[in-house]
Amino acid sequence: MKRFISLLLVAMMLLGLVACSSDKPSGDAPATEGAAETVTLRVWGAQDDQEMLQGMIDAFIAANPDTEWDITLGVVSEADAKTKYLEDPAAAADVFAFANDQIIDLVNAGALYKVTRNADDIKARNSEGSIEGSSVDGQLYGYPLTADNGYFLYYDSSVFTKEDVDSLDTMLAKANEAGKKVFMDVSNGWYIASFFLGNGGTFAIDADGNQVVDFNNENGLAAAEAIKAFTADPAFLTGDDSILVAGMGDTIAAGVSGTWNATAMEEALGENYAAAKLPKYTTAAGEVQMGSFVGYKVLGVNSQTKFPEQAMDLADFLSNEENQKLRFETRQLLPSNTVAAAEPAVAENIAIAALQEQNPYGTSQKEVLGTYWAPAEAFGATLEAKDYSIDLQTLLDDMVEQIQTPAGN
Amino acid sequence: MESKKITDTISNFFKTINNGIKGFIEGFTKGDIITKLSYIIMGFGSFGRKQFVKGFFFLIIQIIYILFMVNSGGYYLSMLPTLGTTTQGEVWDEAAQIYRISQGDNSMLLLLFGVSVILVTIVMVFLYVWQTRIAYRNQKLLADNKKLPTFKEDFKDMFDKNFSATILFLPMLLTVLFTVVPLIFMILMAFTNFDKNHQPPGNLFTWVGLENFKSVFGGNPLWATTFKRLFVWTIIWAIFATFLNYILGMLLAIIINKKGIKLKKFWRTIFVITIAVPQFVSLMLMSKLLHDQGAMNVLLKQLGLIGSFIPFLSDPFVAKVTVIVVNIWVGIPYTMLITSGILMNIPEDLYEASKLDGANAFQQFIYITLPYMLHVTTPYLITQFVGNINNFNVIYLLTGGGPLSLKLYQAGETDLLVTWLYKLTVNEQNYSLASTIGILIFVIVSTISLIVYNNTSAVKQEDDFS
Amino acid sequence: MKKHRSISNTIIYIILSVMSVIWIFPIVWLVMQSFRGEQGAFTSYIIPKVWTLDNYIKLFTDTRLFNFPRWFMNTLFVAVFTCIITTIIVLLTSYAFSRLRFKLRKPLMNIILILGMFPGFMSMVAIYHILKAFGLTQSLVSLILVYSGGAAMGYYIAKGFFDTIPRSIDEAALIDGATKNQVFWLITLPMSKPIIVYTVLTSFIAPWVDFIFVSVIMKDNYQNYTVALGLYQMITRENITAYFTQFCAGAVIIAIPITILFIAMQKYYVEGVTAGGAKG
Repeated sequence: MKRFISLLLVAMMLLGLVACSSDKPSGDAPATEGAAETVTLRVWGAQDDQEMLQGMIDAFIAANPDTEWDITLGVVSEADAKTKYLEDPAAAADVFAFANDQIIDLVNAGALYKVTRNADDIKARNSEGSIEGSSVDGQLYGYPLTADNGYFLYYDSSVFTKEDVDSLDTMLAKANEAGKKVFMDVSNGWYIASFFLGNGGTFAIDADGNQVVDFNNENGLAAAEAIKAFTADPAFLTGDDSILVAGMGDTIAAGVSGTWNATAMEEALGENYAAAKLPKYTTAAGEVQMGSFVGYKVLGVNSQTKFPEQAMDLADFLSNEENQKLRFETRQLLPSNTVAAAEPAVAENIAIAALQEQNPYGTSQKEVLGTYWAPAEAFGATLEAKDYSIDLQTLLDDMVEQIQTPAGN
Repeated sequence: MESKKITDTISNFFKTINNGIKGFIEGFTKGDIITKLSYIIMGFGSFGRKQFVKGFFFLIIQIIYILFMVNSGGYYLSMLPTLGTTTQGEVWDEAAQIYRISQGDNSMLLLLFGVSVILVTIVMVFLYVWQTRIAYRNQKLLADNKKLPTFKEDFKDMFDKNFSATILFLPMLLTVLFTVVPLIFMILMAFTNFDKNHQPPGNLFTWVGLENFKSVFGGNPLWATTFKRLFVWTIIWAIFATFLNYILGMLLAIIINKKGIKLKKFWRTIFVITIAVPQFVSLMLMSKLLHDQGAMNVLLKQLGLIGSFIPFLSDPFVAKVTVIVVNIWVGIPYTMLITSGILMNIPEDLYEASKLDGANAFQQFIYITLPYMLHVTTPYLITQFVGNINNFNVIYLLTGGGPLSLKLYQAGETDLLVTWLYKLTVNEQNYSLASTIGILIFVIVSTISLIVYNNTSAVKQEDDFS
Repeated sequence: MKKHRSISNTIIYIILSVMSVIWIFPIVWLVMQSFRGEQGAFTSYIIPKVWTLDNYIKLFTDTRLFNFPRWFMNTLFVAVFTCIITTIIVLLTSYAFSRLRFKLRKPLMNIILILGMFPGFMSMVAIYHILKAFGLTQSLVSLILVYSGGAAMGYYIAKGFFDTIPRSIDEAALIDGATKNQVFWLITLPMSKPIIVYTVLTSFIAPWVDFIFVSVIMKDNYQNYTVALGLYQMITRENITAYFTQFCAGAVIIAIPITILFIAMQKYYVEGVTAGGAKG
């Protein structure tokens, strides 16, 4: 037994020694610019973007022949970027794409370089919303790529006219006549927010970094009444994307979703395929245009990079007008670049045109924190279940209290 | 009874340590020059007495350890009290037009490597004390005119007298590396302020003592209610998920094994195929199938069995039943696998005898099969129970914890403590708080299982032959 | 008597048939989806209108986005080694705890029991950094280590099994002059087929179905993904409509090696251990 313990101890120790010494602290001084040095950079992008990104990187290398480049690609989707980054910042890419709702957490973690090189040009060429969505406290931290992450209304033009889809009430009335459904995933914080945001609801973050929302004020209550009326309507249908895709054109005549379902919707509806901004709903005070979340995809430069200037130049290049056009052509993602977004091809794409139409009513998702989603979903689920045992004001108060309470307080 | 056992264990532990210290001092005071030198140069007590392999082995270890501490170990040890002092900084670089960032300390890595260095050092201390004991023992053996064991003899012992040591070596090594070190690291994290405002690489985090425990116990009432309700549901879930699967899986194995049943292989294969499909696939299919508008409801409606849809996953109570039932679907094939082999070991004559006494199949199951199986598989049941308390996959993939409720803090009706913990970690990056709750769950679960385990017949009846 | 038996057997056949249908229905549905020609994530009908092999063919030929063949080989490699190492570790640990008596036996058993109770996902990042310190991240070797590193904690089941083998057999061999090493290899192991098969099966399956650990370890190294992680990428919001049927095909292909393994081992697995020695 003793021999065993000794061997075990020795092996553990040796392993420990190897482990700890192989990761010796590197000391100070990040590498400064060396003319002859090979610039090694890694770029993270979504799986679907790899081929396109490789083409862009080749073009970048060709455009900068004075430097020796070694640029590699890694697969991390925009949605996972923050999680993967925080697991090990040192192993993260030098330039990585992320969804802008992660920007506050990333900046708080000290993950991003400030965008100062060529900043005026970047601000000038991208839409105001996208620049705001890539900034924290007025300081730009990212290079906007797309303005694609939002939702709008798909509809069956054999059931609704262009005028019908301007009003939720009209849509519900017509859908009931036709025996069809209007689809919206109300038990989902992302979609349900459109009612509150449309009626003046706001997201903010207080000094301690906690979420502040005002959904339980008078306007919020009016919005909640509208949600209640909508979910109580016989034409209302909820569910996830698969329900929408399976039922569109058949039992469903209109549904709220985003560009990722464009192909499926077009296939389901054929020549009746149509899309528009979200409709207006009615409150006691009058008609209210539904708001929405707008999400941007943004490139960030890792604060741990050894080559900040070069990484910034690369990010700048990858997000320029030409490459945003390319992005639109290959992936059908709405550009944040104002010139690229004004291309006729963009307006001809039914889904993207609808997204563009909705975006002015949108709110950037960047100030939405993790505590928002679960209570908002619970609120939506309560109304979907038509459980009216608790009055709306109390439900709203409960929801807001939960959203504003950080864990452990 | 139980407490006596625990106090015994503790007092034994202190006795062992006391003996160790006594022996250590005795060796030094009564040792000859070779033994005394082994207190400075490790292994001297062996190679000084011609046990070269063993002796140089210790010496090399001492040299490596010293080199390591000088090289980097000492640095990590010195950073442990503060978990880092240099914050990430930035300086304006006019030429490049950027705020050049200088790297700060990474508190998380300092904590992890600090823990590793401490562990290595503890190991070193044990080795050191142990080789002094060997030196003194060698001295006494020679004084008694006995022969010292040769390397060959030591080696031979490894496969007979010390066989337990040999075969446990690799398992223990891996366990320490992949379980113990991460565990200590996680436990220590509960005493820091590692949350979204202290996130590396931009920020440092540091020790805060018992702050996190205070905020868990002194948190708001909603928080406490949630913890309580999820705890109760976690236990209910674990009991149902464990015992229903166990009994039903065993019954399945029994009827397949029954004499006269044909196509045994065929039946077993059918159930095992469900294991072969990855759980995340089958659970995702299930969640789509059981959705309010899903295929199951559509099918039942078309058959005219129901008027309106059944809220399989959207009603608080029905959803709880659903997850337990789906878990039976997932779990029975495994129980069938594990019990089949053991069932074959039940002595046939027990059944024959009971048949003569006029017992029917049900009585045989209750009085023969079940007691035998319980005797053999109690450890398995405990593993399953603990596994179900921490059953992340089934809940997370099937319902995601839903239906969510405003009466619970950031949680749904089917959330287990572990899925809730996961959500809190992901949503708020409050790692220190997550560790704190993790520790609390861990303490409760391990206490229950240890008491149960040490009182089971399987353990009590172990005869202590040597 | 005979009549009674045939009635009860008929009932058993009915029960087995009903259960088989319930258990196999989702699998059959999965297989049908994998042959479905129509695009889209879900259809409101069960039997596909167009049958095709395209989903399988594409899975192996269209490797631009999802390099399934490579991931399949990665997983097979990891699974084989994980399965070997895990089985050895589990057998060694449980044999030591069941058959050998040494001073630290009880404390070690209790400690290992307790260790297994801490929620695993919380230690993933720490494990990642430990592997990184050894320079092993993003490699298949590190995955093997992760999957087999905790194997010792699964000792109870095999220990319970070893406990049922009468000790008199070992003792007789020891008296005949065998070493403990020989007893383990020549006497205990051959009698332990059911538990070996169980361990082999469960440890072989783990790499095929885990998508959480592998994502922490592999991060952006898409070439070293395993099939489960790769498949999981197919059902993200953006991909599910276009790739769902391929996803089903992939899941069916994963099921094949595991099923084959089981069928091949089936005959060992139900053999009884003791031929009459009473215990319990």
